[in-house]
Amino acid sequence: MNTPLPVSLLSARRLGDAAGGLLVLLVIVGAWAWATAAGWVSPIFLPSPGATWDALLQGLAEGELASASLATVERMLYGWLLASALGLVLGTLIGVSPALRAWTQPTLEFVRPLPASAVMPVAIALLGLSPGMVLAVIAFGAIWPVLLSTVHGFASVDPRLHEVARVLGLSRSAFIAKIALPHTLPDVLTGMRLSLTISLVLAIVGEMLASQTGLGSAILMAARSFRAPELYAGVVLLGAIGLLSNSLLALAERLARTHH
Amino acid sequence: MIRAIGPRLRGLLLPLLALAAAEAAMRASGAQSDAFARPTEILRAMWTAAQDGSLAAASAQTLGNALLGLAAGGGIGLVLGLWFGASSRAGRWSALTVNLLRPLPSVALVPIAMLAFGFGYRMESAVVAFTCVWPMLMFAQDGVARVEPRLVEVARVLGLGGIRRAWKIVLPAALPRIFVGLRLSLGIALTIAVTTEIIANPMGLGYGLAMAQQSLNPALMLALVIWIGVLGWAANAGLLWLQARLFARRGVRA
Amino acid sequence: MTASLRVVDAAPRAGAAAPLIRLSGVALDLGDRRIINGLDLDLGRGEFVCVVGPSGCGKTTLLRLLSGLVQPSAGSILRDGRPIDGPAQDVAIVFQDYGRALLPWRSVAGNVSLALEAARVPRAERASRIAPLLAQVGLGNHADKYPAELSGGMQQRLQIARCLAQRPAVLLMDEPFGALDAMTRQSLQDDLLALVRRHGTTVLFITHDLEEAIYLGDRVVALRANPGTGASSLAQDIAIGLPHPRDQLSTREHPEFLRLRRFLFDFIQEPRP
Repeated sequence: MNTPLPVSLLSARRLGDAAGGLLVLLVIVGAWAWATAAGWVSPIFLPSPGATWDALLQGLAEGELASASLATVERMLYGWLLASALGLVLGTLIGVSPALRAWTQPTLEFVRPLPASAVMPVAIALLGLSPGMVLAVIAFGAIWPVLLSTVHGFASVDPRLHEVARVLGLSRSAFIAKIALPHTLPDVLTGMRLSLTISLVLAIVGEMLASQTGLGSAILMAARSFRAPELYAGVVLLGAIGLLSNSLLALAERLARTHH
Repeated sequence: MIRAIGPRLRGLLLPLLALAAAEAAMRASGAQSDAFARPTEILRAMWTAAQDGSLAAASAQTLGNALLGLAAGGGIGLVLGLWFGASSRAGRWSALTVNLLRPLPSVALVPIAMLAFGFGYRMESAVVAFTCVWPMLMFAQDGVARVEPRLVEVARVLGLGGIRRAWKIVLPAALPRIFVGLRLSLGIALTIAVTTEIIANPMGLGYGLAMAQQSLNPALMLALVIWIGVLGWAANAGLLWLQARLFARRGVRA
Repeated sequence: MTASLRVVDAAPRAGAAAPLIRLSGVALDLGDRRIINGLDLDLGRGEFVCVVGPSGCGKTTLLRLLSGLVQPSAGSILRDGRPIDGPAQDVAIVFQDYGRALLPWRSVAGNVSLALEAARVPRAERASRIAPLLAQVGLGNHADKYPAELSGGMQQRLQIARCLAQRPAVLLMDEPFGALDAMTRQSLQDDLLALVRRHGTTVLFITHDLEEAIYLGDRVVALRANPGTGASSLAQDIAIGLPHPRDQLSTREHPEFLRLRRFLFDFIQEPRP
């Protein structure tokens, strides 16, 4: 039942899993193709996998999808970097002071679950329909995971380590740099991974609302003109961006946790 | 004197002071703005909307769509998660597809839903449903995978097979984790519902919010933002309370 | 190099009555490691057999083999002449980590009820069977409490009650009193003896406490791991010639008790060949 398997059996199983995983994926894509070919769903709503693929290649080759993707990725990254930097700095400031933590906790707890997209109309009223507005909203929405995990990381430093620092005579900034921040690093990376997800979502929403160049506005326009293959091609690209960014950060996170 | 105020009150003091300061500053300067409104004006706008029923109507629409989507998508996610948790092979084979579909930002599906359903409750709940599949799937799968192996052995020794074991042992053991997934999914459902309304769907709180901004009504706009926050907080707090009551006597380990 | 078998006071093998359970040449592999090798053991009907041995020498594995949770890699385990191919309704296990073997979402009564539900006892009959079981283990007044609200000793008694609800012919116990304080342990030892003697249950009791093994058992079986292969086998099988009923004070001062104690302690300390 819980018998550990010998090594040779394990790699055979891993091969079997890879094959099985691929099989499941192929079955789903196959079902997609069949549904469109058999005419169960109108091609207006669901283009065939082939049509989507063609639209994808064409869009990338003729540059519109490529430049739109780049714009979205750029927007997402700038907003995310800004949010992460601010979150780290603010999180550190709040985190080192138990007093500040107590003062700000309820406010943070209330603002955190607020959907960042709900803030977008306010941002539009303030900053108009501009790239700067979108960036500001992305930063506002994406800051919370980093900020909160930084604060939590600082708060969770073992009291024993505080005592060690005092006995060793470490200054406040040395304590932060040598003990608190390294301890907090994995949590910060987790927060940054969540922030990246939020950044992508808000970038798309911002593009849709403010008609900024990018995949968000591209797929919205495709939908409005009933160009389904292009719409789906754009969605596939967005999925790919989400997948790639998440995987890279998950890798970084895992590396950071190897010594924790 | 500050020390005399309890720690919990201290936290509430900050926003209250900020609001009071904002009120005073805006009254003093007498400036008009498209984006800001005095706290008292915001309250008045909220009161008016509550009185004339528009707040309740919009809230019902948003909540209704969110719950509908959560039930549909969360239900699918729950069933799949239970299956993948119980059958190790199903879990391993489905991992590739799940990991490919999960990172897709759900807002990207809004145009697809628009195309398929036009506008209305179906489009919004469809987007919510897709989004809620994944967290429920993960928490259900995790809940089942984490069932105390000793309990499974107890089931075997007692002669409980298949369905009886799933019903009497696996499901109750996984329930706390599933409930956490439900609570998080509800928050996600509300967020996606509001976002869909802001982008495209002309109904609910999100739509009201976008309209308030476009008609240059900052008081109502901010009132709705706050109200959305309150709803989200209340939903989470409500489920937290329920969680504590349901699982209270299980002990910390649950 | 196999351990030499010092057979002293060996218990008679298959006397007049046929054994309830017979292990012959039983071996178990985990991956490519042989955990148990060449184990021969008889359990007589109604016998209380204690198993001792150093940690990691396969005592728990022996229990799982007898329960049918795991199949041997070689050899046979026969019950009444028939091989054990899975958990039987009348074989009960008391696990060492009692906290993890109880359902935290069911009350004390509910936990006992689980065994009855598994045996498809009709609902109307369950209540009348649960109450006396709880009374037998001293939990009669706690039927509506939840495991998290009970002390360690009470949780272990709850597990015992659930096992007794199976009306077991064979009771397998894995260091059941190891995590309890001395006083609780002593009272549970006597309660257990009284219970199994009343029902004629066959018991296999694992413990690392040599005195507990002598106090409780009709026989004490010692396992030892072969220093070369690491596989465990039977190194000692001793009959306990102490009178029943056992008593915490007088039995433990009995000269036979002291002799067995000395013998077992020496055996365990013995340098490996």
